[in-house]
Amino acid sequence: MLLHLAVARTLYNGDTIFYAVSFILLMWIVKVLAWKPVTKMMQDRSDKISDDIDNAEKSRKDAAAMAEERKAALAGSRVEAQTIVKDAKENGQQQREQIVTQAQTDAQSLKDKAQKDIAQEREDALASARNDVADLSVEIASKLLQRELKADDQKALIDSYIEGLGEQHES
Amino acid sequence: MGNGTVATFQLFGLTFSVANLVSGAIVFLLAVIFVFATTRHITMRPSKGQNVIEWLMDFTNGVLKGNLPANEVRGYGLWGFTLFIFIFLSNQLGLFFNLMINGKAIVRSPTSDPVVTMTLSMMTVIFANYSSIRRWGTKGYLTSFVKPLWFFFPINIFEELSSFLTLGLRIFGIIYSGEVLLEMIWQLAESHGIFTMALSLPIEMIWQGFSAFLGAIQAYVFIMLSSVYVGRKLQEE
Repeated sequence: MLLHLAVARTLYNGDTIFYAVSFILLMWIVKVLAWKPVTKMMQDRSDKISDDIDNAEKSRKDAAAMAEERKAALAGSRVEAQTIVKDAKENGQQQREQIVTQAQTDAQSLKDKAQKDIAQEREDALASARNDVADLSVEIASKLLQRELKADDQKALIDSYIEGLGEQHES
Repeated sequence: MGNGTVATFQLFGLTFSVANLVSGAIVFLLAVIFVFATTRHITMRPSKGQNVIEWLMDFTNGVLKGNLPANEVRGYGLWGFTLFIFIFLSNQLGLFFNLMINGKAIVRSPTSDPVVTMTLSMMTVIFANYSSIRRWGTKGYLTSFVKPLWFFFPINIFEELSSFLTLGLRIFGIIYSGEVLLEMIWQLAESHGIFTMALSLPIEMIWQGFSAFLGAIQAYVFIMLSSVYVGRKLQEE
């Protein structure tokens, strides 16, 4: 019995099989529980990171392009704004000149017209006054003629009349 | 004493030791609990447990990467990882949990028993030879023993044997001696009452810490050498 124990103690060969089997079993359990899902997750993560890096690179390029575009647009709009302001100034200037010219022309024509009217008016007034004077003088003459005429008076009258005629003629 | 007497029994014409069966089962359970607990919620942003197991996987993959051909690493990751946690837990078990009933060890480090360590190294040797056959075919595998010249055959055979022995005996020696010393410190503590108890407590703690460190190092060395061994079988001579 003692010998049997001693022999057994030197080599418990069953343990070898036990450990081999349990190791293989453990390997299988680890594979199912941990190895497969964790490795898959690690792979997914590294894929995602690499994707993210690519995307970040792409976004950076896009952003740079957009910034460039915006810069160009800004420069364009500045030029445009300058043109607009310049145009507006020119337009304004032109319009002002036009308005002033127009006003001057208008004023001139109004003035001319007014002068013409005034002259006409004066002419008319003179003409009518002359007519009135003629009528009046005829009337006065007729009234005077109806009175008794003395020789001197008659003479003076004729003189004055003749004088008046001369003046009338002159004017 | 952890390696004194061991209760054995016979089954199917094979001899089993109670201590190794119980300890092996505990290590197995601890390993399963570890991988189970750390992989409950696998997310893109790793949480605590997932970080631990991912770090371990990266670590063992890194060891394999250094020794195996780059295109083969993928297929051996699981093997390296399982081997590492199994040997690591085996080394640490006896340091923190040593159980004896009637002077017979029940729980101890499985790796403090040469039978267990030789089993592990034998598995590595078999695995390496199997990998070689899978990689080169039976003919290529057999001719690899007579390379570079026919009279290298005995040297190649001897190399297999020496790998098998050194791999198993190294880890056995270190873990066994660690436990023996712990046992001796315990005996010192018991010998003269409270005074030696107080004296040996810090010594025990220091040695335990050192053994824990050694156990981790040995687990690393074991998978390192195993992968070197497998890698050599896979590489073109």
